[in-house]
Order: sequence, then structure tokens, then C-alpha cells
Amino acid sequence: MAEIDSSGGGKKGGKKRSKKMSTKIDMTPMVDLGFLLITFFMLTTTLAKPVTMQLNMPDKTDTKETSPVKLSETLTVCPDENKVYYYQGIPTEAGTKLEVTDYSDTGIRKVIADLKAKVGSNFTLVIKPTKKAKYRNMVDMLDECAITNNKRYALLEIDPDTEALIKRSGK
Amino acid sequence: MPKVKAKRHSVSLDMTAMCDVAFLLLTFFMLTAKFRPEEAVTITPPSSISEKALNTKDGMLTISVSNEGGVYLATDDQMAREFMLERMANRYGVALTGEMKKNYMSSEIVGYPAGAMRQVLNMKPSEAKDKGFIKGIPIDSSNNELSYWVGYAKLSNPELKVAIKGDQNSSYKVFADIIGTLQAQNINIFQLITAPENKPK
Repeated sequence: MAEIDSSGGGKKGGKKRSKKMSTKIDMTPMVDLGFLLITFFMLTTTLAKPVTMQLNMPDKTDTKETSPVKLSETLTVCPDENKVYYYQGIPTEAGTKLEVTDYSDTGIRKVIADLKAKVGSNFTLVIKPTKKAKYRNMVDMLDECAITNNKRYALLEIDPDTEALIKRSGK
Repeated sequence: MPKVKAKRHSVSLDMTAMCDVAFLLLTFFMLTAKFRPEEAVTITPPSSISEKALNTKDGMLTISVSNEGGVYLATDDQMAREFMLERMANRYGVALTGEMKKNYMSSEIVGYPAGAMRQVLNMKPSEAKDKGFIKGIPIDSSNNELSYWVGYAKLSNPELKVAIKGDQNSSYKVFADIIGTLQAQNINIFQLITAPENKPK
């Protein structure tokens, strides 16, 4: 009220000038956020794409095409939940010895590889999963065939004779 | 003698370029990523050393087996999917409405007995899941509905490949039943879906 403007128009008509702000902003937090999101998404995405293994089963309607297999060239494996039974020969015969091993690479894989080396290319693996077997066990056995490069294998239902043999051996 | 002073450089550097790169990568990954369809059941497949990628060119018919032994069917062939539903509804005398068809097409899988079809399809897929209707397709020898579903799918598209995606802890018996059902229809080639594993040696 009582003040007198004594500046006398010192600053060109008293125009107010806004302060000049720098246009640069600190980008560091934004970079942090960006990389954080990238890392998060990369770690949470599932990298594993599914693969398949092909299983060919024999044609049931086609009965004429059978190839005889020698007993001595055949190994029967019965994958169970945590162990694998295996034997050679006919399950009802008294001389048939049932052995038991595990799924490790020194277990059933060695058995298959050793016998395959002894028998040669005619080696046939018969897979009879037990009633307690899981799907995983069957895939493991097919996998062992792929690892030992064994192309002759058959997937069969377990028969009562084999079940009796397992029971008799008590393993 | 005056000391030579090293010129002081500013420690802050321009982050704009780095920021651009980070967000470019982020956008790229987000746009190229494919959404995984929501699964009604969680299935952990066993691992194998197989390296063959899944070939989905001719259409897939995927049979899933859950941990508890429930059997579910899915296909990526939309024509076959619709055909399957129409034939199954016809067979079991279920009158289809537009709403039921919509609910069927929006759910990824089929996993209920035909008797519950009317009830399940009259609610949203997520609701049916929450209420516990998605229990699996019956595959008993007395009532083998899987055989009909697969039969109709193959009728619509004979090129469909059959894939089996089993949970690693599902019983082998269910798998044997499925194989038996399919073999009765002269389907002898199966693709077993597994997770990759390193080859020994």
C-alpha cells in the first residue's frame, strides 16, 4: 500500500521470466526398472519346449508279419516304481533267474548295454511294466533304449507268469 | 611450482541410450512371447533325451493324463473340435444351444463324461473347473467315451497326429488303457510328449 515502486522499470517492464529448467532428467532409475523387468520376464518364462518321442505299436489287425526271436537274444525288463526287474528266458521255468536293479546309469543301462554287446544286433528288449509302474518308468525304459541305441523293443502287458516269478523271487 | 590438476570429469553419464535398449528388449520379448493356454490340469511330463520338436503342422490331438489318472482331450484343429462336439451331443441326445457351443469352444480341453455335458457346457469353463466338474473322460471298457471322441476327431481330420502327454507320476495302467483304446481304432503311432533332458556322455 504504502510502498513505492522504486525500481523504476529496471527490468524491462517487470516481465516475469520463468526459471529455465534443464530438459535433462536422470534416466538411471528408468534403466534399472527396464532391466529389472527384462530379468524378471526372462527368469519366469519356461524355456523348456516340449519334445516328443515317437512310439510305434504293432498293428493288431495285421497277424501275418511276425519275426521269430530267440530266447537267448531277448531280455525282459519289468519296470516297477523304484526298481527294475529283469530276466532272460521263460518265467515259468525253474531255472529262470530274476534280477533286480535300479534306474541309474550303472543299473539297467549297463545291463542292457552289456547284453547288447554280447548278443549283437538281434538283441530284443521286452518291456512289461508291473501294475505299480508309473508312466515315468515306461518313458525311462524307452529312453534307455534310445540311449543304448537299441531299436528292437516291444511294449507288452504284464502276464500272470511274470507276476508270479516276481512274487516267487521275493525281491 | 603450480600443481597440475587433473581435469575433473563428471561421474554421471547419459543413461538415455541404455534406457532405450532396455525397453526395446523388454518390448521385443513381450511381443514375441506366446501365451500359454491355461491348462485345466497341471501336468509335469517325464523327461527324455529325445530332441525331436513337436510337429504341429497337420494338427494334433493331445490326450493328457493327470497325476490322479484323469484323461483329457484337446485338439488344435477347430473344425475337428466342433465336429466332435456335434457328434457327441447327437449321440448322447444333448440339445446344443449357442451358449453351450461358445463355452465349449472357449475351453481348451474336454474332460467330463458325456452325461455331465449339458451341465458343464452351460457354465463358463473356469466355473466348471472351480466346481470340480473337469474330472476326465471315462475310459473303462464298459463305457469308453474316449474312443468315441477320438473316433469323431479322426473322422473329421484323418491327418490328426495323436500325442500323449502323461504326468510323470500317473499310473502306467491308464496309459496302457489309452493305448489299447487307440489301437482298437488302428491308431498305432503315438507322440509321447516329454520334457528335454541332457544326453548322458
